[in-house]
Amino acid sequence: MRLREYEGKRIFAEAGIPVPAGRIVRSVGELGDLSCFGERVVLKAQVDVGGRGKAGGVVICPVHEAPARAAELFGRTIRGLPVTEILVEECLPIAHEYYCAVLVDRSTRQPVVLFTEAGGVEIEETARQDPDRIRRFDVNPLLTELPSFAVRDLIGRAPKALGPMVSALYRVFVAKDALLAEINPLVVLDDGRVVAADAKVIIDDNALARQGFEQNRDLTEREAEAERHGFSYVELDGEIGVIGNGAGLTMATLDLIEQYGLRAANFLDVGGGADRERVAHAVRLLAGAPGVRVIIVNLLGGITRCDEVARGIIDAGIPQRVIVRMAGTNEAEGRALLTEHGYEMYDSMDRAVAAAAEAGA
Amino acid sequence: MILADRKTGVIVTGATGRQGLFHIRLMNEYAREVGGVGVVAGVTPGKGGQEVVGVPVYDSIRAALREHEADASVIFVPAGAAGDSIMESAANGLSLAVAITEHIPVHDTMRALAYARLCGTTVIGPNCPGLLSPGEAKLGIMPAQLAMPGPVGVVSRSGTLTYEIVDELTRAGIGQSTVVGIGGDPVIGSTFSEILARFEKDPQTKAVVLVGEVGGALEQEGAASTSLPLVAYVAGVSAPPDKRMGHAGAIVEGGEGDARSKIQALEAMGVTVASRPSEIPGLIRSLL
Repeated sequence: MRLREYEGKRIFAEAGIPVPAGRIVRSVGELGDLSCFGERVVLKAQVDVGGRGKAGGVVICPVHEAPARAAELFGRTIRGLPVTEILVEECLPIAHEYYCAVLVDRSTRQPVVLFTEAGGVEIEETARQDPDRIRRFDVNPLLTELPSFAVRDLIGRAPKALGPMVSALYRVFVAKDALLAEINPLVVLDDGRVVAADAKVIIDDNALARQGFEQNRDLTEREAEAERHGFSYVELDGEIGVIGNGAGLTMATLDLIEQYGLRAANFLDVGGGADRERVAHAVRLLAGAPGVRVIIVNLLGGITRCDEVARGIIDAGIPQRVIVRMAGTNEAEGRALLTEHGYEMYDSMDRAVAAAAEAGA
Repeated sequence: MILADRKTGVIVTGATGRQGLFHIRLMNEYAREVGGVGVVAGVTPGKGGQEVVGVPVYDSIRAALREHEADASVIFVPAGAAGDSIMESAANGLSLAVAITEHIPVHDTMRALAYARLCGTTVIGPNCPGLLSPGEAKLGIMPAQLAMPGPVGVVSRSGTLTYEIVDELTRAGIGQSTVVGIGGDPVIGSTFSEILARFEKDPQTKAVVLVGEVGGALEQEGAASTSLPLVAYVAGVSAPPDKRMGHAGAIVEGGEGDARSKIQALEAMGVTVASRPSEIPGLIRSLL
């Protein structure tokens, strides 16, 4: 789950990483007296997307213009998302922008710390065009702290005051179960002070509970409901509802649907060992989703038993819209049940998707 | 075959849970069928002295090893304790730990894997179906009835999709040397490269099916590391960016790890890429 900038900055501040003076507001009325911020302020829309600055989500203005500009920002959408929160901050006299991040490297199976003098909005461009300008240190996760030499190697000739921030960022990454902890830009001010001007923190979804988050905000309402039932569910915008068991098989079904020139309405993995009730619930969930014309159920029985699945499909009670492919444990019993109740059942994935495509087209 | 054979003795951790119990039974049914050792002991802290489906349960791996010989563990403990179970396996000198458990926090996995490396323990998973060497050994939850012995290795990030492909191969009369599910998490103990290196040294394995999905670059890294004939399949061509497709690791992030660019990279290396699972048997046959 991606934290908002102000949440990330709160965590940074607790870890001893200096952040700009600021406050979060949810309406123009909450702006109040801004004189403590000096002559100019920065208004930053708190939306859960990247590229916010380029999309007009960050405004720098004189303090007296702040109410009008904030009202404008509240009335806008940034990359499709409404602005409900604005972070108001002091305007920093920036001398130089650096970049520092800690993330999980799948290839090395370890955290990696990245640092470059070329911070700012063009960091992705730098990573592509000039990757050597980004220094990296792979961290053995059995270390509890970044070693001093690693910090020195990372920051090179950048101001020494940045060192403790790099160390603290690594501590945040570990303590908060982060997949990513990034400061971009990490700024040195005209007077030599160092400040984290932005904060991007992504928490591991598998660690949300122990980090004290009750729910994953990245999910839509229907996705959250599906998660409560133990499904993995992703909303898409096609016309064929898809239920599978196992992420790979479900994805492969989606891909096959695309090969027939159609689009899946969703990805729904009922998980291993799904029973009658869960299957019925999955079918009903999709039957109620907008735009779904046909539902294809593609299950390979290992732990999951085909007869149990068949009973769940029959319980849901919509034979005219469900096409079933099942194979594996208790396949014959499942087939007999479905045929008896007027369902179409196929033993191959290709044939089932072809039939679903025909029915959905 | 690779990683395990008939002689491999197995300890199951999380033995008294629903999953553990159910799969101990299936693993031992298979062991009896092929004349293998199978699961010799179960471990659940606090439940030492009990017996589940004919297998004695101990409080710890250490206690189990006082009474039994074992080389491997299969881990079914809940997510919060699974990292610890990997480390317990490693600390007690087991050469292989197969972590079935899903939803382990990635920081726990990284630490456990680093520790296992120090101890010289190979880890498969987490979030995986384990491995199956048809006619030899089953460590995990793969449905053994779909498989048959033969010359094709299968290595996959998926569970049921792997069974689907094994089923297709078997129906086409093409047997498997070992089927390895390496897991759907972003950080896993054994990657495609490491499994392929084992297949390369295995005289039984003549060609390999590599089953990948969106997220990361392990497929390309694996393909580049081997000289074995490969057929690849990559799931998730239709997956939208920044959405996690069921597996924690199946996500296109920062414009990287999408299926099309993986397929392009694999094809550029001369790897045959199947556009759907049913194409795989025909393509692999032409490589044998």
